[in-house]
Order: sequence, then C-alpha cells, then structure tokens
Amino acid sequence: MLSACLALASYQLIRTTLLDERERTAVRAAYFNATIVHSGISGDQPDVLEVLRSLDTGSARQPVLRLDGRWYARGADSAVTDAIPAPLRKIVEGGRPAVQRIGSASGPAVVVGVPLTGGTAFYQVDSLAELDGTVRTVGAVLLAVALMTTAAGGGVGWYATRRVLRPLGEVTRAARDIAGGDLTARLDAASDPDLSSLTRSFNGMVDELSGRLERDRRFAADVAHELRSPLQTLAASASVLTRRRDTLDERSAAAASLVSVEIQRFQVLVNDLLELARSDQPAQREPVAVAELARHVCRSRRLPEDLVILVDGTPQRWHVDRKRFRQMLGNLLDNAVQHGGGPVAVRLGAEGDRCYLEVDDEGPGVPPADRDTVFGRFVRGRAATARGDSAGTGLGLALVAQHAAAHQGGAVILDRPGGGARFRVDLLGCAP
Amino acid sequence: MMRKVTAVLVIEDDNRIRLSLVLALEDEGYTVVGVGTAEEGLLLQGRNAADVAIVDLMLPGIDGFECIRQLRERDDDVPIVVVSARDDKADIVAALEAGADDYVVKPVAIEELTARLRALQRRLRTSAPTDDVPALVFGDLEVRPEAGEVRFRGSQVAVTRTEFRLLCELAEHAGRVLSRAQLLSRVWGYDVGDERLVDVHVGRLRNKIEDDSGAPRHLVTVRGLGYKLQR
Repeated sequence: MLSACLALASYQLIRTTLLDERERTAVRAAYFNATIVHSGISGDQPDVLEVLRSLDTGSARQPVLRLDGRWYARGADSAVTDAIPAPLRKIVEGGRPAVQRIGSASGPAVVVGVPLTGGTAFYQVDSLAELDGTVRTVGAVLLAVALMTTAAGGGVGWYATRRVLRPLGEVTRAARDIAGGDLTARLDAASDPDLSSLTRSFNGMVDELSGRLERDRRFAADVAHELRSPLQTLAASASVLTRRRDTLDERSAAAASLVSVEIQRFQVLVNDLLELARSDQPAQREPVAVAELARHVCRSRRLPEDLVILVDGTPQRWHVDRKRFRQMLGNLLDNAVQHGGGPVAVRLGAEGDRCYLEVDDEGPGVPPADRDTVFGRFVRGRAATARGDSAGTGLGLALVAQHAAAHQGGAVILDRPGGGARFRVDLLGCAP
Repeated sequence: MMRKVTAVLVIEDDNRIRLSLVLALEDEGYTVVGVGTAEEGLLLQGRNAADVAIVDLMLPGIDGFECIRQLRERDDDVPIVVVSARDDKADIVAALEAGADDYVVKPVAIEELTARLRALQRRLRTSAPTDDVPALVFGDLEVRPEAGEVRFRGSQVAVTRTEFRLLCELAEHAGRVLSRAQLLSRVWGYDVGDERLVDVHVGRLRNKIEDDSGAPRHLVTVRGLGYKLQR
C-alpha cells in the first residue's frame, strides 16, 4: 500500500516536473522564434513561408503565423492550425501572450501564442507525444515496481503474521482440547522462547483448572460417601422392618412401608445427583451393539424386548458411551411408565453420522409450552404432581439431556402420530 | 462342600452399617459374621470360616484392596463382593484387579445384595468329576468343567470360581463370540450391569492362560462385540 502510494506520488511529481520544464522550454523557444519571425516579416514583400521554414524547430515543434487574417504554416496540413483553440486565439489577438496545453489528434501538445504587431500573431504548437511516451514508460516502470513491492510486502507480511500467530493457533487448539475435557493438554514451553511467559501462564491456568476440577470431583466423591453410608444402614434396616411387617401393628407397618419407599427414592435421588454432577465430562465412546443393549434395558425393567425396533439400514453398532446410552434409554422408559402409560416402541435409527433413539408412549402427550422445561432439573410431570406419588426424582430427563449433549446431540419431544408423546434423542458422531 | 446354610463374612468398619447388614442378611437365612477390620477378617478366613465375603474398601489398617489381595495370595477362592460407597472407575477396576468377584456401590438394596451372593455361590455342576466327560481342549489350554480344572501347557492353573465359570462359559461356546452382556448375565446373573466386571476378569484370566496377555491367542477380544475362546 505504502509502496503503491509512493509510486503514485513519484509518478505525479515526475510528470508535473517534466511537463512544466517542457512548457517553459516551449515558451522560451516561442518568444525566440517570434522575434525571428517578427523581424523576418517586417520587410515589404516578406516570404512568410521561407521565414517559417528558416526556424530551427525540429519535427516536434510546428510554428504557425496568423497574418492579415490568413494562416501560414510550414506544411499544408490544416490539423496544426485547427489544433489552436479559439479562446487562446482570442487572448493572443487581444494583444497578450498565452500558453495552453491541449490534446490534439496527434497526441498532447502545448500551444504558445505570442502577439506580434498589427494583429499578427505567432503560434507554436509543441507536440508532447514524445514526452508523454517517456512519462508513460516511467509510469509503467513505477507501476511494476509498486506491484512488485506490494506483492513482496504482502508475502513478507503473510509470513510474518503466520509466524507470529502460530503460537496463538496452538493456544486456540489447546484451549479447545481443554474445553472438550482433555485436561492433559498443555503448551510446549520450549517451542518459542519469546512466548514463554504466555506459555507459562496458560499452563499455570490449566493446572489450576484441572486441580479445581479434581477437587470438585473429590468433593462429589466425599459427598457420595457421606450420603451413601447412612443410606446403606437405612436400606438394610428398612428391609428388616419390611420382612417383619406382618408382626407389626397396623400403624407401625404403614410407617415402616413409608420409610422403605422413601429410602428407595432417596437412593435414586443421590445416584441421579451424582450422575448429573459428573455428566459434563466427555462421553467415553466405544462401539456398542445398541439393539442388544436396548433389549437388556427393557428386560431389566420387565418390559417386553420386542419394543425395540432397529430401523432398516441402521448400523448394528454405534460409537457411543455405553453407560450413558443405557441411562438415557432407562430414564426415558421410566418416564414413559410414570407419565405416558408405558412405552409402546423404542426405535433406533440413523441418518448419516447422526443416530437417534426414540421412545413412544400412549399417554396424554406433552403440551408444546412444557416441551423445553421438562428437560430441566427437578421438573415433574403435572399429572404426577397432582397425584403426589411420583416415584421420579425430577432429574431423569435432565440427565437424558445432559448425556445427549455429551454426544454433541440433544433431546426433544415430538407428537407421536396417533396420540401420545415421542421422546427423541439425537446423538452425533456415532459412525464407528 | 455346599453347606446348607451359607456363611457370610462381613468386613465393614462402620458399626451401624455392619450391624444393619448382619441383621438383614440373617433375616435372609445366612449365617453372618461381622468384623470391623481386615486383620480380623483375614484371621477368621484363615480357618475358612465363610463361603462368601463382603468387603468394604475404606478400612482402618489394612485397606480393602490389600485385604482382597492377601486372600487371593493364599489361594483362597472365596467369592468376594465389594460393597463400597466409592463408585470411581479407578476404584472399581483396582478392586476387581486385586481379585474381587463383584462390586456394588452403596447403598445397595438387600434383595440386590443377596442376588449377587447367590450368583457367586452358584456352582457349575455338583456331580463328582468323571473321566468320561472329555476335557475341552484349545491347543495348549485344557478346561475340564466337571473336574473344575484348568490346565495350561500341562500344568494346573489356579483360578477363582468366577474366573472358572467365565472360562467354562466361553469354552462351551468355543469359537463363538459372547457379548459382555451375555457373559454378565450368565456368569454374574446381572440383567444390566457394569461390563467392566467382564473386562477385568478377562484380563485376570489372560494373565493365567496366555503366554502374552497383551497379545492373547486363546481368549480374544472381538471389537465391539465381545469375547471368544479359540485354539
């Protein structure tokens, strides 16, 4: 850019200087020639053409004389006299000398007019074609130089930028890896000594971050232990009470059964909470025979295995987190049992790299306004709330959404054709 | 060997949990001995007191991992179920690698725990070993389901009951792939369970019946499907 500007400025300067110089020369020559012509025609029978021919002008310079209303030139070509512009003639005929640059048929020229005595005027047309050619050559050279320097400058700039930005690219990559859950990603401290302080602080930040995550994980594990140990005592004791229900009086038996039901719910809640706390970790993908796994999940919930349909053309094995896939399907089935009158179909399909899992039920469906909120935490179905005996923790569908997100996918609720709800989970990157 | 009443050893340092487990398991018909430290447990088991052991991982003194390792080093094949509040993958794998047969996370329902104990107690066949039934031979590996024996390069290999049942299951379906879920269901009685159980036990078996457990010849992994046993 700078080189282009410099070239343009140089071109203008050279052009102006050359033209001005040429104009001054032309004016000086015109006055000189006018003096010769003036003295040459001052006789009685002057041979005007001879006088004009005697001028030492060269081919680029055309002297013209206007005498007694007639034009006198060296050649018969009227192009030279036609080239003299009328306004200039008017000024010269008014008794004042004048200079004008014109663009004539034979190229640019400078016309100098010098008034002689008695209405006679001497004109000189100086062709600038040669000069113009020179200026053009200079312009072309400058343009070429400008282009070359611009290209070279661009190349150097590109190289320098790349060199300077490469470490930033590495930082970006490392940051993306870390955001993706790879806390072992670090910058290579030895790669660029100029950036050692950036590298040090970046790595320090990641150390701090992974340390904090590790502390959080430990905290979750500690909480789990603290909650789970007393729950174990409660669960075992409740089973003793349940077993002896018949020997208890009616009120004690009722209380005992409440205790044991609530302990079960408490267990599920603690497990779901811990799963949810861990669910933002990246999915541990492996090839999974999903239809077989889905049939297992159905069987373990005492649901018929033939609910599971592998849509035609769907791969047998998906690249997913086995444990999370199982939990998603299990939670969707539990949801269908609790709120949808039981599942009627479990469909496994694929569209390119995107695999989907659908669980259909024949319940009342989910109103469009509630379809986003049901995936929130501690949201329970309206019907269940009204009955007040929900066995759910309100975390099941939140876990489904979290697990789907860990597979770069998502969970949505659709209308099932023919009534009921269709819960659909999309999972990306499933092609093995 | 099968006793009428199964004796359970509970090694659990938390008094309340231990007492509640003893009460609940006795209700289920087991004879239960509860101790608070691994040292007491190892001492009792030195006299083969129990048919099955329930071990907590966090114990004062010798911890659960070390307790399991010491039991296995004595060639004690008593089935061991870890009942722990820790559900970290690393803890589960470490406990199984130390020699545990199963792992459940607290809190576990008593019905679930007794189902696990029953699955581990189940013997393959109770008939006396006979010479009529041929051994299942896989090159230099021989499995004798009836005799409860495994031979590798002619010499007998010490395997735990769970390892043996896993090997027999694979041997009876020689050359066919069994999925982890199928193995979990047939060996451990799980409908849906942690498939790491299978992986870790396969790893332990490979250490015993393969020249190079990193490049197994007999017990091979079929990626994405499961395991199979071959010549």
